[in-house]
Amino acid sequence: MRAAPDFGTSTGPPLHRRMSLTPTPELEPMTDIELAAVAAQPESSPPNVDQQERAAAQEPLLQAGTAFRPVKVLDLDLEQPLVDLDGLYGYGAVQLLVRLHGIPLGYARLPLTNGRVSATALRKGVLAEVQVRAVRHLLNDYLGVAHTSGPGSARQLVGVAHPQDDLALPSVTVAVCTRDRTEVLERCLRAIEKIDYPGLEVLVVDNAPATDATRRLVAEQFPQLRYVVEPLPGLDRARNRAISESGNDIVAFTDDDVVVDPLWVGALARPFAESDRVMCVTGLVVAYELETEAQVLFEKYGGFGRGFDRHWYTVDPDIRETLPPHVGAGRFGTGANMAYRRCVFEEIGQFDPALDVGTVTNGGGDLEMFFRLLEEGHTLVYEPAAIVRHGHRREYAALRTQLANNGIGFYSMLVRSAIAYPIRRRAIVRLGLWWLWHWSFRRLLISFLRPGRFPRDLILAELKGSIVGVARYQRSRRQAARLDRGRRPSKQPAAPGAT
Amino acid sequence: MMVAARNGRTAVRSVDLSGALEPIDDVFDYDVVRVYAHHEGRVVGFTEVANRGEGVSASRLRESLVDSLNIRVLADIDEDLSYALIVTALAEKLLPGGPEEDMAEDLPLDRHVTASVVVATFDRPDDLRMCLGCLTGQQVDRDVEVVVVDNNPASGLTPPVVAEFPSVRLVEEARRGSSFARNAGIRAATGDIILMTDDDVRAPAHWVERLLAPFGRPDVAGVTGNILPLELEGSAQRLFEAYGGLGRGFRRKEFTPAWFEGRRSAVPTWEIGGTANTAFRSWVFQDPEIGLLHEALGAGIPAAVGEDTYLFYKVLKAGHTIAYEPDAWVWHRHRSDMAGLQRQLYGYSKGHVAYHLTTLIDDRDLRSLHYLAWKLPKSHFQRLRQSAKGPSPYPIKLNLLEIAGNILGPLAFHQSRRLARQAGAGPQSAATNERTET
Repeated sequence: MRAAPDFGTSTGPPLHRRMSLTPTPELEPMTDIELAAVAAQPESSPPNVDQQERAAAQEPLLQAGTAFRPVKVLDLDLEQPLVDLDGLYGYGAVQLLVRLHGIPLGYARLPLTNGRVSATALRKGVLAEVQVRAVRHLLNDYLGVAHTSGPGSARQLVGVAHPQDDLALPSVTVAVCTRDRTEVLERCLRAIEKIDYPGLEVLVVDNAPATDATRRLVAEQFPQLRYVVEPLPGLDRARNRAISESGNDIVAFTDDDVVVDPLWVGALARPFAESDRVMCVTGLVVAYELETEAQVLFEKYGGFGRGFDRHWYTVDPDIRETLPPHVGAGRFGTGANMAYRRCVFEEIGQFDPALDVGTVTNGGGDLEMFFRLLEEGHTLVYEPAAIVRHGHRREYAALRTQLANNGIGFYSMLVRSAIAYPIRRRAIVRLGLWWLWHWSFRRLLISFLRPGRFPRDLILAELKGSIVGVARYQRSRRQAARLDRGRRPSKQPAAPGAT
Repeated sequence: MMVAARNGRTAVRSVDLSGALEPIDDVFDYDVVRVYAHHEGRVVGFTEVANRGEGVSASRLRESLVDSLNIRVLADIDEDLSYALIVTALAEKLLPGGPEEDMAEDLPLDRHVTASVVVATFDRPDDLRMCLGCLTGQQVDRDVEVVVVDNNPASGLTPPVVAEFPSVRLVEEARRGSSFARNAGIRAATGDIILMTDDDVRAPAHWVERLLAPFGRPDVAGVTGNILPLELEGSAQRLFEAYGGLGRGFRRKEFTPAWFEGRRSAVPTWEIGGTANTAFRSWVFQDPEIGLLHEALGAGIPAAVGEDTYLFYKVLKAGHTIAYEPDAWVWHRHRSDMAGLQRQLYGYSKGHVAYHLTTLIDDRDLRSLHYLAWKLPKSHFQRLRQSAKGPSPYPIKLNLLEIAGNILGPLAFHQSRRLARQAGAGPQSAATNERTET
């Protein structure tokens, strides 16, 4: 082979010095708040080692022999003027989470040329993607401030201040449920440390640990955090433990494989303050990184994102529609980013430990809780301003397992809901069949008809999981009951009738 | 706007847009609140919030008003303050002093990126001389080599012509077929981007740079250009243009994987362009998912066309983008004898079917079945009916010739595959791993 062509060296200072963007480096993703600090750093501050290494190993543009190139994930704050993005060697594209006043407006994905995209291209690409939401955001801000004369000019409208409604914010406990994954847990807790919220309590629930690594990590590095052990295995048991341990109004749940945004708790808490009827708030989950093909595939598959518009969901309990909108609970959010008013659990019961990651049903407790809460007439708010970044599985095999588990969990949860709410049985069966057709069979069929880039074995894995999942719930319930008998009196109200 | 619940009791409230909005707290007995927005004695419009017995917070009220009224919430709006002006002001704030009107930006291709032009020829010394004259006179910003592949070394007609151009490299490929020849050229080429053209084209001096320009965008794996007739002297040449010619229009187009995957019938890859004016990044040919040109398709064998469309097919299938750049045109001299034209169209028709059979069998693309069994016969039927109605610029004889070619397509497909196997067509991409060095 010929020697790689010389593309010259990068002309600018390293990335983090030149722009008002948030890189997501190895351990600490910087945030909007930190950006100002970064921008103000003197030139003599030590440059980011990661960037230096990449610059040294500058990859030629045309070397790639295969299709996949990683995508760099960054935050872009529209309050700052744009600058050239540089130094992202080895990446094929950049995916920007575009935010204004901390509120996400959408994604913009731009191709990189030799690790670079200019400010002009950035502006064009970003505005093309988010201009509608950006204008709506500005109009919203305009309505939030008193103004005697009109908006005057477009320039004044663009410069309008973001209103902060005067709300009495509730007390919050953040519960991180974890099991023997100290390497990701540390990253997660470092991000939680950066949250600025009055009187915040952080609770690390160590779920059936095999070692004392988690306990030591918290004791040595995070002595200010509360640590409890839930000896029985299961994510839902850990969540229930957090509910019992917390003394605050709101319990916000997250997983150990995420990195939360510094504004996360504030955004989750605000809808609770806006209305007493709000019992659950879920938020936006974005990818922490898109370094491997499996991670890109997961985003392509649907990811965890539920859009950039805030929604208030309530189900009229008297509605007898054939397919009430809350039955397919996946649209409301996911367990990695949800918060509840703690008093609601006294009324509708706690998480069902038979729907646990780690049991034969492999999850679904979060979705089942969304359904139960809405079915009982409460309000759920999807608040995209509450952002967590989820570290998707890096390996392809892990992705396949996860998709299979999604199928099992979703259908176990449907079975559980059908048992508990006989009145919704027909709707649940219809939804289950429709989803099987729409999500799995239809996509499988299309994959046979025309070649696509989404691997068929992933669709098959989830389909298989879906079918297996229908039969799993009953078995899991018996196991859960055995476990409970072994320890403490069951604290599971609203248990399904038939067992 | 939120949809009101059926039979929901609805409260009516009003707000003044000139003050900061206050929460609405007195609606606990209602399912829906309808809010009229007014400003200085004028009602601007209304919105509905499905509150279902809750109070409506200020932020929720703002969101709902913006949902329903959008830019009209700027009640005493200047006539000129349009949506577009707000976006422009935002753009100005993001990049003060940036270009205002045209925000389009062409990413320039680094001048260190090298290119190779591959020309396959079969005993046409006069055409080749003209072609090489054009290629060696290109205005370029980078290293560009020209590689000529002689597909009939036995005749000895090509080497003297190439010898007239000292900078041009000559490669021999005795195995008959344009795909064998071009693949030999691609293997011998050393550029980062490989351009392909034919011996019967004349390239304007800016052709290479213009065809390379879209590669400034890293997501573009291939570029095709326009092919215009050099002359329309005889009726055979005019008929070839009536058949469809080789040009693909004067607007820029982009062929994306989404375009490829979204089609329900076979993807019309022949709309992208042809081997007489196309360029690909060199790694395309090394990618195991794509590989070289298919040796059982292309001029010189029974399935006389389709190697280019099949390459486009593979590139799109692998998830890459192909751009069509009309500014990079070449002049192509069509065949001037009627017998030659008929042979060509007959071969095209066979190759067209062979291409679809290849996507069906090698790629399991069932869409080609739909095309072969339904769309292709349908289009023939329509054209025959058109000819039956009255005089048409395209003679019915050529229509029938195309149909005959299509019918014999499967046979040509079979023959070509056997010929290619006998000639020693290797595995598609493995051969490229030893790109020769000179």
